[in-house]
Amino acid sequence: MTESFAPAKRGFFARRWRQILLFLSVFGPATITAMADNDAGGVATYSIAGAQLGYPILFPLVIITVLLGITQEMGMRLAVITRKGLGDLIRERFGVKASLFMFGALLIANLGTLVTELSAVKTTASMLKIPAVPAVIVIVMVSFFFVVRGNYKATQTLMLFACLFFLAYIFSAIKAKPDWGLAVSNLLYPHGVTWDAAYTRNFLLIGMGVLGTTITPWGQFFISSFAFDKKIEKGKVNFSQMEAYWGAFLTDFFSFFMIVATAAALFGSGKPLLDGIQAAEAIRPIAGNLAGSLFAVGILNAGFMGLIVVSLSTAYAFAEFFGLSGSLNNTFKQSKTFYILFGIQMLVAAVVALFGNISLFKIAVFTQTINAVALPLVFFYLLKLTNDRKLMGEFVNNKFQKYFSIVCTIVIVIASIFTVAAAFFT
Amino acid sequence: MAYLSEILGRPVTDLDGKSVGKLKDVIVRPWAEFPHPLIEAITIETKGGVSRSYPFAAVAALLSPVIPLKYRAEEAPTFELKDDDVLLSRDVLDKQIIDTDGARVVRVNDVELIRVNGTIYVSNVDISWLGILRRMGLVGLAHFLSGRIKQKGISWDDVELMRRDQSMQLRVPAERLHELHPADLAEIVSDLNRLESGQLLDTLDVAHLADTLEEVEPEFQAELVEHMDDERVADVLEEMEPDEAADLLGDLPEDRKQDLLALMEKDDADDVRKLLAYPEDSAGGIMTTEYAAIPSNLTAMEAIKILHGMADEVETMYYVYVVDEEAHLIGAFSLNNLIFASPGAQVKDFMSKRIITVNLTDDQETVAQTVAKYDLVAVPVVDEQNHLHGIVTADDALDKIIPTAWKKRLPRFYR
Repeated sequence: MTESFAPAKRGFFARRWRQILLFLSVFGPATITAMADNDAGGVATYSIAGAQLGYPILFPLVIITVLLGITQEMGMRLAVITRKGLGDLIRERFGVKASLFMFGALLIANLGTLVTELSAVKTTASMLKIPAVPAVIVIVMVSFFFVVRGNYKATQTLMLFACLFFLAYIFSAIKAKPDWGLAVSNLLYPHGVTWDAAYTRNFLLIGMGVLGTTITPWGQFFISSFAFDKKIEKGKVNFSQMEAYWGAFLTDFFSFFMIVATAAALFGSGKPLLDGIQAAEAIRPIAGNLAGSLFAVGILNAGFMGLIVVSLSTAYAFAEFFGLSGSLNNTFKQSKTFYILFGIQMLVAAVVALFGNISLFKIAVFTQTINAVALPLVFFYLLKLTNDRKLMGEFVNNKFQKYFSIVCTIVIVIASIFTVAAAFFT
Repeated sequence: MAYLSEILGRPVTDLDGKSVGKLKDVIVRPWAEFPHPLIEAITIETKGGVSRSYPFAAVAALLSPVIPLKYRAEEAPTFELKDDDVLLSRDVLDKQIIDTDGARVVRVNDVELIRVNGTIYVSNVDISWLGILRRMGLVGLAHFLSGRIKQKGISWDDVELMRRDQSMQLRVPAERLHELHPADLAEIVSDLNRLESGQLLDTLDVAHLADTLEEVEPEFQAELVEHMDDERVADVLEEMEPDEAADLLGDLPEDRKQDLLALMEKDDADDVRKLLAYPEDSAGGIMTTEYAAIPSNLTAMEAIKILHGMADEVETMYYVYVVDEEAHLIGAFSLNNLIFASPGAQVKDFMSKRIITVNLTDDQETVAQTVAKYDLVAVPVVDEQNHLHGIVTADDALDKIIPTAWKKRLPRFYR
């Protein structure tokens, strides 16, 4: 046998290839978190935005991408450097009361979000002529058993695979035959409509709403927990940071097509929209059956992703706050409470979504309200922790990150308060 | 019996009953002779926000609703903090500890104190929900429930503390941890944060560390040795089974891999290099080079003697392989065959000549199927000319086919 172990001279491509492999080895948490931000509620918001406001609402998307990237990167860096979840660190630094409060807010808001996801699954299923009740039950059962029986890798693969379904929006958008030039130029500056008082008011309100559904407390908890469970090496932190920005970009890349699809098909048609399913229905006669069905499949998939990610975020947070073992690499026996909490939330949400007689709109407003209360706190803790040199060492926020993230946080907080206020006063 | 959560924040007064501040922390000092540490001092926070520590001897009654000192504030002796003092609120409350009895990492909700003859000891740490209720100020409810719900306190004797100070070692001997099974240690390590897991691994000796790393998922191994110094990692690699060592090295950056190989003993490094030359998921990549091979012209008695001498190198003997002068595989027998053979019998007479083998380049799937089909504990790996290169144990063959989480559910026999 021949043995040659002299380090081979590496060419440009070999080096690049190695970089790509390293990137792939950390790939997952940020992309999944960001894509799950486009859950059923997210699709609904984007559809309403596109249908009511047309292409100009694409403009805030750029800002949202930056804000999402910045906040996700902080959560990611925190988890990779300390190898602790956000929940762990809040408990250790800010004590029991803060932990209980945060967990309570997260649990209630997440339950609300889960009900939205499953309601979307229910109505979309019936639109696609799949029996609704069995569809919801099957999705919950499959999610539960897959996540419990599989390990981290299996769940990550399933979620990444689900991300592919977002391609459906691209097809829907193409089918709707949009004015691409107008769409792309609206990313740079909003134009092409008459800015009367009513339009401007709606633009501000819905723009804030879009921001509010994209940046959420559960997103901040999930990214750090999932990155923690992946056990990314400290040396690869720069690749993880890259992934955080990439995830933010990818998410809004698909959001772009959601908006384009609904803007092209529905803007100016005067049809009022309340949710994503109505958008799918409304797209049908204009852009064709396939476009409508693809849009619906996209919503179904978004609901499925949201279902797993949101209920996992509560379960992870619980394990971190209260010091139980919670890892997807554990068996059911090893992390009983973690998995039971994961399942129970889905069960409760399924019962409410199937048999509850509550207005979805009220649930959405309620959820948004709690998120708006919790979000400033989450960012307060996140900033406190990432600004702590003792904890973060050389990876502490630099001056730019420090002030820029504070500005971002203020914008996000104002947006979420705005959305809640708007919901109450209109 | 009292709880730390109940006394923290209570007002502290001086001899004249004048308020001096609030109880902020309780300082204990671990002893060598007795597992439960004694309360040495208290820290108070004055109204002006200044922290001050007094020795326990200056406190008249710690477990009362108002804590009186025996002195006037300005006359009271003060207490100097030492490095190995444990501050219960700062270092223990809300922090993760290792419960060495249950071999797991838990978070502390409260600390239980007990008074014996005028001194106060730490008896248990409380990790139950009652601790959280007490921390929330719902002492009455916690007390009401405590009679009805079984408490699961952890005796301080079983507690291994993770110190917040980076430079500090774990409680020095940490013998309790060393008694744990490597698989338990591996699980504990994966539950700790970066700093803590590093501290924990630092306290282990090389052999124990190698065993523990072998129990950890391969991707996580690389993360754990990332900041260990090369000398120590090289020692650990020598100690590990060559196939495990090769797996670990395969996950490290190329230049570090070369550095480590250069630092290892030549024999061990050569074994590992051989394995690294094969693709990770081929028979060559997953085999181990630690196996027992003997020549055919021996008697059973002589074979036993030779195998005896190999005990140090070969950790587990499943089968003994028989090779000729050019290392061609010509036979194999199990230890059963050997022990039941008469002492004078020739190896070539009782060895089995029809041997199931796999080729160096066979993929893992094939190896796994072979192992499963013929019910083998290990299968020899040969090249085209039938030279013996190593063996693949059933465990390693099935490793990547069945994800670890699922493997743990299989009956023990198949692992």
